[in-house]
Amino acid sequence: MRVFTAVIAIAFGLLVLLGYFLPPTLFPTVVDLQTVLLNWAVILTGVAALVGIFNLIIVHTDKVRRAEKGSVYSALLVLSMLFTFAAGMLLRPDHVAMQRVVLSGIILPVEAALMGLLVVSLLYAAIRLLRRRADAMGIFFILTAVVIFLGSATLPFGDIPVISTWIRPWVTQVLALGGARGILIGVALGTLMTGLRVLFAMDRPYGGK
Amino acid sequence: MSAIDMLDLFSGGLSFLFTVLILSYLIGDNPLFRIAVYVFVGAASGYVAAVVFWQVLYPLLVLPTLSAIQSASLAQGLYVLMPWLGLILILMKVSSRLSGLARIAMAFLVGAGAAVTLVGALTGTLIPQFNATIDIFGGAVGKGGFELVELLFSGGVVLLGVISTLAYFHFGAHPKADGSMRRLAPVEILAWVGRIFIGITLGVVFAGVYATALTALIERISSLINFIASLFGMF
Amino acid sequence: MADLINCPVCGTENPSDQEYCRSCQAALAATEEGDASSIQPGQSPTKRQTAELEPILPQWLRDARDAARSTEPEDSNQAMPPQSEKTRPIASEDLLAGLQSQSGQDEDEDVPDWLANITGAQPKPKVEQQPETTGARWVEMGARDDFPSEDAAEEADMPDWLAGLQATQAQPEKDELTDIYNLTRSVNESLPTQPPAQEVPPEAAPHDFASSETPEWLRQMALDADERSATAEAGEQSAELPLDAPDWLSGLGGPGSESTFGESSAEVSEPAPAESEALDLPPSDMPDWLRGSAESEKPAQDTTPKWLREESGGASEPETPAWLASEDTVYLPSEPQQETPEQDALLVDLPDWLKAAAPNSSIFEQPAEQPTSLQETPEPSFDSPDWIKSLGATEASEDVPAADEEKSSPFENAPAFTPDLEGDENLSSLFTEMPDWLSNAIEPTETPSSSASSAPTPITSDDALAPSDLPSWVQAMRPVETGIVQPSLSSDRTLESRGALAGLQGVLPAVPGFAPTSKPKAISIKLNTNEEQLKHAGILEQILAAETSPVPMESYAALRTSRGLRWVLGFLMVVMIAVVLGLRMENFSTPLLAPNETRAAMSLVDALPPNAALLVAVDYEASRAGEMEVAVAPMFDQLMLVKQPRLTFVSTNEVGSMLAERIITGPLAEHNVSYVNLGYLSGGQMGIRAFVKDPVAAAPLSTSLQPAWESTTLTGISQFDQFSAVILITDNAEAARSWIEQTEDVRGSMPFIVISSAQATPMIMPYYDSGQVTGVVSGLYGGAIFEQYIGQPGSARTYWDAYSIGMLFALILVLGGGFWNLVLGWRERAAARGAE
Repeated sequence: MRVFTAVIAIAFGLLVLLGYFLPPTLFPTVVDLQTVLLNWAVILTGVAALVGIFNLIIVHTDKVRRAEKGSVYSALLVLSMLFTFAAGMLLRPDHVAMQRVVLSGIILPVEAALMGLLVVSLLYAAIRLLRRRADAMGIFFILTAVVIFLGSATLPFGDIPVISTWIRPWVTQVLALGGARGILIGVALGTLMTGLRVLFAMDRPYGGK
Repeated sequence: MSAIDMLDLFSGGLSFLFTVLILSYLIGDNPLFRIAVYVFVGAASGYVAAVVFWQVLYPLLVLPTLSAIQSASLAQGLYVLMPWLGLILILMKVSSRLSGLARIAMAFLVGAGAAVTLVGALTGTLIPQFNATIDIFGGAVGKGGFELVELLFSGGVVLLGVISTLAYFHFGAHPKADGSMRRLAPVEILAWVGRIFIGITLGVVFAGVYATALTALIERISSLINFIASLFGMF
Repeated sequence: MADLINCPVCGTENPSDQEYCRSCQAALAATEEGDASSIQPGQSPTKRQTAELEPILPQWLRDARDAARSTEPEDSNQAMPPQSEKTRPIASEDLLAGLQSQSGQDEDEDVPDWLANITGAQPKPKVEQQPETTGARWVEMGARDDFPSEDAAEEADMPDWLAGLQATQAQPEKDELTDIYNLTRSVNESLPTQPPAQEVPPEAAPHDFASSETPEWLRQMALDADERSATAEAGEQSAELPLDAPDWLSGLGGPGSESTFGESSAEVSEPAPAESEALDLPPSDMPDWLRGSAESEKPAQDTTPKWLREESGGASEPETPAWLASEDTVYLPSEPQQETPEQDALLVDLPDWLKAAAPNSSIFEQPAEQPTSLQETPEPSFDSPDWIKSLGATEASEDVPAADEEKSSPFENAPAFTPDLEGDENLSSLFTEMPDWLSNAIEPTETPSSSASSAPTPITSDDALAPSDLPSWVQAMRPVETGIVQPSLSSDRTLESRGALAGLQGVLPAVPGFAPTSKPKAISIKLNTNEEQLKHAGILEQILAAETSPVPMESYAALRTSRGLRWVLGFLMVVMIAVVLGLRMENFSTPLLAPNETRAAMSLVDALPPNAALLVAVDYEASRAGEMEVAVAPMFDQLMLVKQPRLTFVSTNEVGSMLAERIITGPLAEHNVSYVNLGYLSGGQMGIRAFVKDPVAAAPLSTSLQPAWESTTLTGISQFDQFSAVILITDNAEAARSWIEQTEDVRGSMPFIVISSAQATPMIMPYYDSGQVTGVVSGLYGGAIFEQYIGQPGSARTYWDAYSIGMLFALILVLGGGFWNLVLGWRERAAARGAE
């Protein structure tokens, strides 16, 4: 099984890979095959999401059955899930009721409020950062953040001179650009190597050592 | 009062309630906050499940299968057969005994995904970003005066930032005479400069995150105010 | 010294109560047993059927066996039995003592069963083997066909290897014993010539052994066997079969011949046979020192060497050479009996091994006379080697009754070796016995019928591998004890468990021949390294130590979470924003200076053709809906007002489709938007790639489950590149990267606008700088700029004061609080350093 799964990963990976580089006019079959494989992958990814949700139900149902600590919350989770899923299956997700009640009534407020709570946490962390990390990176981190805070705000009479008109754009478009590009290249290199390792079956995240 | 208005009122009430419940976390962790979070997780996952079925499985699997059955087309049948097979294999993950079979479908997903991300990183990020770095002084061509100096200086800073950041992530080291492992001196200097650039970049990101969070908090507080205002306006 | 035991391995003296050597840790018990179990001089090896073990022997052991075969005289001298004091060889026993036994062994030699098993030869009836006793040695040394039997006259029959062997054998002995040979020859010349054998048919054995290639001693041995047969027929009872004679040896003469081996060891010491043997040698075969006396004995009609004919005749016992007589068969001549004292007088000082060595070393020096009557020899009817057949025929012609007895003897089909000659006695007693090839010479004659009466029983595997059951050929290879007490093989009962010797026991013991007599030479195990290598090794050790040693985490004293500070911060932020929003303050100016990326997005919006088909990817979470809608609203408001594009929404986020609907029903509710919501694209980058490659197949239906690509919004659109522009609304730099990467090869010059959250903008900026992204609108700041650009205040304006105040508030807190904490940190670290 271990070898078989590796062969499958390599084979389909190479087929998808060929679809990128072979010209469609010369190899239409390969390019079409890439599309077919990707559509299959889209379907299977959706199924995997369903399996994950099913697993979530199983876990919390077990908690409720065993009456563990916090099982009330699990029961709420299961109930809300079943209710939403039932409503979504009946009404479909694009129904206005689903939008208003589920999205605008539950999902969006909770997520946005959680995001709002982050304001306090971020400020708290930034204030106490230099107490523990007073090195160059930390100092430049705080200074840059301060510059951006100042440059992003305005005064009643308009932009803050120099800061908003010159320093902030220069920091975001020059200084931060160099670091961001370096990080992006590093991420891309890591992604490239990870993909190659998977295609060479050196990494097998699908299972098997 | 129409149904939509009633629905908006109900939605606004839910939104207000859940917002307050979540913001109650500013006081500290409390059951209300947990209730809101658990309900949110359940509703979101149920909604996602419905979305996956109606917007993925139904148009891509169910309808083609029905179409293949109706048309008795072998090609369509084969086309939908493989996804069904993969679906069955992935569903094996639920069973502890048969979960190993799911590896086949997962291997397919991982292999295809690896190829997609690999090529994307190569052609979408690496090559264009390297080209942009190489051509970083290209904008100075034909320029003169202060603008030329500014472009050259900006380009040099960006170039230094890229190289120093990459040097920061270079962990190749050589043994020193005392046995300690150190990077080469030029790399070490560049890495130190890279730390500064990374610090600046993360500072910008931090400010952006704060701005986003602040906007979200503003929007939530605004929604609370608006809901209250709407209640008062209604009544 | 009585309390000390010498280590069998290193020789270190150890107390007797110790079990292991204090020097080399070898077992000392073996030493104690050594006296009883070690091979004593004259002890005969136990006969075992070990032919099946031959293939599994290690190469070195097989080589040793081969070497032993090829140099049998030299090797066998180590087993020279100590005879009487007067017969003890003067020369070194280690070197030449075996020559005597060799002769004796050759005399009695037949193909033992174990050897026959090795060579593939079948055990033969002893009667037919009697005249071939010397041939057994040749069987060991080579193929049976190597022995010239059919046509002894043809010298070409001599195999090359045998010729070489002769040279190698004869040469060293000749050099060493030249003086002795000369002395012996002088003695022989003084002896009277012996009459030819009267009873030997002229065309029998001589034809077989008269070949010039046949060594003299071989012929001698064959004739000796014949002689013994004749002696048995004569009813002489003096000959006795040795106790430990193997079956092949005991079967040589059969029961009738047993009596021929009964000569006492005292007779062995008689020097007379040496001279008599020399007298019988034909001149052509004899060395110079023997030729003189032999020529006078040569019959005219017989090419058989005289010594051979005399042996066959059995009537010339007095002429038995000393090296042959020294074994167990000494036939003192009756007529020249009176000369024996003279010979004794002459040779009394000569050790038997020297006497035996004389013909052995000279047989190759002079070619023997060619026998001529070989064709008259009847062929044997069984599968014996040719040379055996010829000899057997001769034997049959002479000793038919004996042959009949042999065929009916219990040795006929019995294994060559018996498991234990002593029957029920302890196996260790086997080693008290002399080797078979030695016992023939010195074994007393008190048990002449023991070997005959004790029918050899097949050995079993149980005792085949025991140390005490070592095959005779292995035992024979072991050096005998000399002066010091040495552990015997039987003392080492180590069972080899691996390698080529697996299953064998005691094969590699600390035998005397291999054990060092002193402490092993100290060999330095210090590596020969230079400083550079040591330096590298040290570095490697440091690296390994660094890898294995736990690196302590840089731990900080946990800062106490200031709940009060958190409460203060939270309260201030919420109250401040609520006040600003509640009072609907718009005191702060919206940003006036648009960044480059936002200006590019504005320009692009202006450049879009009317009614353009725009693909809008909604990839943000609901948590950023407030920010994203603020940023999206002014641009799309502008688009709706100016361009009235056809919007196609798609999302890689599960809630993206509903967030798109929220945009339509929210900020753009005032506009009559022509749009299609394709819904959720599963699979992340794979979904994006599938959509880019074939959007119709990837998203065939809208969220309302209608055929999306048949709608008026998507009229004329079936490929990705047919869209006029792509607008990505995302709060995630990773999502932006996915869309940018997967559409890179398809977009071409298609505009790509990113409306991003403020948190994702820094990581999207490199794509804008590289030209992969046409324009960027970043969060509330970008939305405010766009609102100001289009001149229509919206949500951005509403939020801007709170946003600006929040940013300034953060600036003050981070700057002031950061500086305060920086000072506190310095003080804490300074205090910590002072405490240390």
